[in-house]
Amino acid sequence: MLNREDALTICETVLAHATAAGAEDAIVSAQSAVESHARFADNRITTSGRSADVTITATVWVGRRRGAATGNDAGADALKRLADEAVQIARVSPVHREYVPTLGPLDYAESRAFVAATADPDLNARAKSLEGVLTTCRAAKITGAGFHTARASATAVATANGNRRYFRNSEGGLSITARTPDGTGSGYFAGDHFDLAKLNAQHIADQAVGKAVRSRAPKPIEPGVYPVILEPQAVSDLLGFLTGAFDARTADEGRSALSGKDGKTRVGEAMFSERLNLYSDPMHPEMPAAPSTADGTPATRLSLITAGVLENLVYSQFWAQEKKRDATPGPVNYILESTLPPTAMDDMIKGMARGLVISRFWYVRQIDGRSIMLTGLTRDGLWWVEKGRIQYPVRNLRFNQSVLAMLAPWNVEAIGAPERRSPLMVPALKLSGFAFTSISDAI
Amino acid sequence: MSIPPVSRRQFLAAGSALLAATYVPDWAEAFQPGATGEARRAEVADAALAQAVKLGASYADIRINRYRRESIATRERQVQNVSRSTSYGLGLRVLVNGTWGFAASNLVAAASARAAADQAVAIARANAALTTRKVVLANADKVVTTWANPIKRDPFEVPLETKIAFLMTLNEAALAVPGVSFINSQLQFVDEQKYFASSEGSRITQRLVRTYPQFTTTAADRAAGDFQTRAVVDRAKLLGYEYVEDYPWLQDAERAGHEVVEKLTAKPAVPGRYDVVVDPSQLFLAIHESVGHSTELDRSLGYEANMAGTSFVKPGDAGKLRFGSKIVNLVGDRTQPGGLATTGFDDEGVPSERWHLVRDGLFVDWQTTRELAPLVGQQKSHGCLHADDWSSVPFPRMPNVSLEPAATEVTLDDLFSDIKRGIYVVGRGVSSIDQQRYNFQFGGAVIREITNGKLGPMLRDAAYQSRTPDFWASCDGLGGPATYRLWGTSADGKGEPGQTNAVSHGCPPARFRNVTVLNTGAA
Repeated sequence: MLNREDALTICETVLAHATAAGAEDAIVSAQSAVESHARFADNRITTSGRSADVTITATVWVGRRRGAATGNDAGADALKRLADEAVQIARVSPVHREYVPTLGPLDYAESRAFVAATADPDLNARAKSLEGVLTTCRAAKITGAGFHTARASATAVATANGNRRYFRNSEGGLSITARTPDGTGSGYFAGDHFDLAKLNAQHIADQAVGKAVRSRAPKPIEPGVYPVILEPQAVSDLLGFLTGAFDARTADEGRSALSGKDGKTRVGEAMFSERLNLYSDPMHPEMPAAPSTADGTPATRLSLITAGVLENLVYSQFWAQEKKRDATPGPVNYILESTLPPTAMDDMIKGMARGLVISRFWYVRQIDGRSIMLTGLTRDGLWWVEKGRIQYPVRNLRFNQSVLAMLAPWNVEAIGAPERRSPLMVPALKLSGFAFTSISDAI
Repeated sequence: MSIPPVSRRQFLAAGSALLAATYVPDWAEAFQPGATGEARRAEVADAALAQAVKLGASYADIRINRYRRESIATRERQVQNVSRSTSYGLGLRVLVNGTWGFAASNLVAAASARAAADQAVAIARANAALTTRKVVLANADKVVTTWANPIKRDPFEVPLETKIAFLMTLNEAALAVPGVSFINSQLQFVDEQKYFASSEGSRITQRLVRTYPQFTTTAADRAAGDFQTRAVVDRAKLLGYEYVEDYPWLQDAERAGHEVVEKLTAKPAVPGRYDVVVDPSQLFLAIHESVGHSTELDRSLGYEANMAGTSFVKPGDAGKLRFGSKIVNLVGDRTQPGGLATTGFDDEGVPSERWHLVRDGLFVDWQTTRELAPLVGQQKSHGCLHADDWSSVPFPRMPNVSLEPAATEVTLDDLFSDIKRGIYVVGRGVSSIDQQRYNFQFGGAVIREITNGKLGPMLRDAAYQSRTPDFWASCDGLGGPATYRLWGTSADGKGEPGQTNAVSHGCPPARFRNVTVLNTGAA
């Protein structure tokens, strides 16, 4: 990966070429990235590799006309060609009506989301860690499949108006699907961290294998509306559809779940459970993120939902300019948590008269943006609870469920402690109702 | 109806002084075509392969690829973004002691190629102890050749202003319909230039050009806080700019405008059992999800268990499993003209071919690669190895999977004729299917009711849901050859790290009996 000096030198070189070619404003980024992975299935490694790349993008304006070019060659000639091409595209493009001058000098906090050792993991140490995972699977007579990944990137940005920034981040992850040989049980568990050393491969393997064993030979139940406990993985599988709705422009234009009637938005409404907070924080100790939004606004803590009230929408620099307000300092991650002390998973189950515990969801898609109505299926662990105890595994079910209804004030009964599921921190949720529409034969 | 192309000369004659003073150059650095570029790539490839073999690889292959992309995005009457990108690099795969290793770099030179070989071999050796079954490859012929998909007009040679004018005209066609609030439209072009070399002596140069027009119309009722969308019906193809010029995009945009406004006041679907006629513009996706993915051998063997899932089709099912009714014939085909997964050779040098996956309703064969074919007793691969980038590990990807039409001419009206209570599904809606490809739910861009053999008004919030073997068993009508269409999807996700594949599916309209229909609007 490129260090700060080299990365910014690339950006400034392209900037100088663009200016010489006639650009009146410009922003240039240089991102270098490295990724290593090992994939396994059938209790053996199937593919494993490493890749390195650099991505340089120049976006320029000439007479408010915009052009952008991207390349992955950092050679001197290539940088000039890149700048020239962006300028040439701008010259033949129409006036960019949404032009906002690029940012000037700003102060950014140092990113906490980078650990150098995660960028290039030791091959033998990884093999030893995976050997432990595969040994656990074989000992339990389980067929294990999974994915170990470590990646890191460094991003430098320079603008014609003097903004300079450089951030690095890293992330390691391990996910495991454990399947019983008879094909009737399957369990999944995953973990990720910006410091690969903090990843507990044995814990992840034990969880996946345990779920597979406990989900063997599931029984069918009738589709319908049931009380549910969503494990953090299941919450993370759905929450991304809500976070996508916070865009202020879409809401203002009347085509978002957060649009109101008569041309208004729903900011200020108590749409969600009063026990829920949702916010972004680049300095979160477990889920740190880049201290800058994608368009360069320095990131700070940003509340989106506070005690169930929709508090903020997300304003890009253009939409903020249109609405004569500041661009929002985020989001750069999402942390969903309880306003009250969290409830442990065991206590959620003990307090449940009847319902389902859901490990994760699969193939979730938004059917209707008005209510964030989603469809998808349960996968890799679904159990029936009665009288405060897990009774037996259940066949997978398809759901058709609105996220707004799911998190509504009347539907959230208990909230766990948030866990990292990058780029989210999400808790387990106990919900009064969740709508299932058909049964699946899939294991 | 096509947009009359505006030549660069015409545009400049009518255009501004600023435009006349500038020009966008050709892609001078695109792929260094010709003998010099070819020799340079061969030198790099030879260095990598020799180093890999020297370090103990029993097999190695390298891809040195360049991707050019252009994207123009608009909304209503303005251009949001014009961007171009190039990406060039090498990806080297080695087999050491029956274990794979892979390394990729954006530095294309003999020294970096040798370094990649060092890394790939080191990765394979580190993992060899965790290998319980050594990889054995099916035989493949040595091939030295070039291949390119035929195009009439290179989209990268078409002036930018022509493309922008096309999108602006398209947007106006939709916005002219009263009640249409928004339109987002985009043109994307991909030029994939690939060089493949293997330690077995194959040397293959290929060029693939894809064209991706798309748009979405939106009608918003601000007073009621309601909105609906209707996306483009057609999708990407392995064609040049002629696809933009020949397809009736303006008619579809205008129709999309009328339909999205009609959707706002359409009556809600009543849940129940219906006979369903599925237009090729949606059936292609049903084929993709329920047939294309279920007949991937890597899924059946568990290779995808941690991500995309496995399959209800088991490794021993070929020649035994009843997949659908006797009129159902499905083929894997990497030769189909215009198909997004069409190519001359796959990413391990195996020539493209066409073969039956389902014949007369019986599942008969798999999608395979050189690694997979021997695992079901086959001597040769069907050529399904693919990587979406030079930096990606090649792995099994879907060919074009297509449903054969009826032997005689059968029209859409013929399919409607004896339906008392049914729906007709047109265009791509939301799709979802489980990890073994049993339970699916599909929407459509537009769904209309069929009553007593006649097409009726539009329904909103409708989707059909079924179980793959039941669905294909209920198929009792297929359109004839004249109704056959090829549609595609440009971003089919699979694998870890995730890769996207572009793939097409040809089919006629088809009729399915007694299928569950849901109303998806009620929270």
